[in-house]
Amino acid sequence: MSAVLELRNLSLGYRDLTLFSRLSMDIQAGSTLAVLGANGSGKSTFVKMLLGLMDPLSGSLNWPKGRPAEIGYLAQMTEFDRRFPIRVRDLAAMGAWRGFGHRFGLDNAARDRMVSALDDAGVLDIADRPLHMLSGGQLQRALFARVIMQDAPLILLDEPFAAVDQSTEAHLLSIIRRWQDEGRAVVLVVHDLSSVLDHCSHALLLGGREATHGPVNDVLTPDRLVAQGYLSESQAAWMFRSTPPTAETAHV
Amino acid sequence: MFDLFAEMWGFAFMRRAFVATTVLSASVAPVGAFLVLRRLSLAGEAMAHAITPGIVIGFVTAGLSVMSLLVGGLIAGVGVALLTAFLARRTILRSDASLASLYLIALAVGIFILSAAGSAVPLKSFLFGSILGIDDASMLLVGGVATVTLVAFAFLLRPLIVSTCDPIFFETQTRRPWLVDQGFMLLLVLNLLAAFKTLGTLMAVGLMILPATAARYWASTITAQLVLGFLFALASCWIGLTLSYLFPETPSGPAIVLVAGAFFLFSAIFGPLGFGRPLRKRSAAKDLPLTQIHQEESAK
Repeated sequence: MSAVLELRNLSLGYRDLTLFSRLSMDIQAGSTLAVLGANGSGKSTFVKMLLGLMDPLSGSLNWPKGRPAEIGYLAQMTEFDRRFPIRVRDLAAMGAWRGFGHRFGLDNAARDRMVSALDDAGVLDIADRPLHMLSGGQLQRALFARVIMQDAPLILLDEPFAAVDQSTEAHLLSIIRRWQDEGRAVVLVVHDLSSVLDHCSHALLLGGREATHGPVNDVLTPDRLVAQGYLSESQAAWMFRSTPPTAETAHV
Repeated sequence: MFDLFAEMWGFAFMRRAFVATTVLSASVAPVGAFLVLRRLSLAGEAMAHAITPGIVIGFVTAGLSVMSLLVGGLIAGVGVALLTAFLARRTILRSDASLASLYLIALAVGIFILSAAGSAVPLKSFLFGSILGIDDASMLLVGGVATVTLVAFAFLLRPLIVSTCDPIFFETQTRRPWLVDQGFMLLLVLNLLAAFKTLGTLMAVGLMILPATAARYWASTITAQLVLGFLFALASCWIGLTLSYLFPETPSGPAIVLVAGAFFLFSAIFGPLGFGRPLRKRSAAKDLPLTQIHQEESAK
């Protein structure tokens, strides 16, 4: 595996608030990095720094193969205007922005790519539907189609499963798995210790002014999750209990 | 009906007014559409007031010429836009509050100077427009601004769409995202100045916002929004001018804006995205708030 991005001695934060300092790690091609942390620990800020929308306080970002022209990015859904009058296909086409620039429409090759991206994301049948008629899951699929169109070596996803149902989550996870197989690096901000983590090879835990990184199982230990303020001791004890309790489910 | 048009067409000032507002409609429609889509409807209104002192000072010092209007208005408009951005970035105030503060000061300065100078131009036509005031130079101004606006939109349309729909994505895609914001504000000021003669400072934004909001009730695509917005603006101008001709005491600005308002009300009631149909179907239980689902479950 080769590194897409090397972070060296990185400190991140705002003028009077340091979120963490001296983080050195590599983001590998073909890997998926989960970024976890309590609210305000700097998950989204970390992603914005990777995008170049924010400078680190100190340290450096090295791109061994040069900074890619395109970095795939999906912001939290709350930052999106759903009433904007465009269709699903137009939203996906935005992913080819650099290809067609601001003057010309899509050429035939890009159009074919768009159709296959819509198909992969499972929104081809609603390609002509305006955004305001979509459910949360459908909108997220459409946004994934845009990321597919971006065809980027590094893909940053900020809480992509916050507002989607289980089947959509499974579908989107399969897309992430495929990106990984294609040798792209994926950085995935997740809010809770969910099943999503099964799909991630590495984790970065933020909180308590520290940043811990490594393979998922090495980073997300009960002691560390408590130490970095992600879980309380009783929550950690319950989550990492040896035998799960049997439960009775009331069916409706 | 035909007699009326023949009669109106007989007057040179009416011919000018019809031609000027037709060109003006094509120019302000795309600006209005993006004012609405970018949630800047009220900022557009504020900006219309903000250019007043520039126009007034230009008028008092250089007379009522198109050049003084253009230069004064541009300086005031761009000045207020830049100061607003500066205040919003460097102080606690958000941009809406900064703009509101500045435009109120600017409007007060404008009206104060206009009154103090004992102007020869009646205040009413200054604020509400007059179809009598459209001379060759004003026609050139409207034509020039329309040309600049439409050419600029040919380049700005896609960046505007992307930056309006998903500003954060747009920021990751371009190095100078502010160029689009500032370019759009400049187009707004230019179009307000072009609309000033027929509509007056208080009504200029009306021809931008109302046709755009009316079109919003029908359009699900940008293209439809732009085309419909233009058609509503055009119809508002023609009918409004006719009203203003039939009732000579009414200034043209309010007449045009009232017609645009009628289109808006009609669209809100009958448009597929207005009261005509709920914004989104609420059939899927997963879209309901959890508490509501629980209530429904316990009610069974």
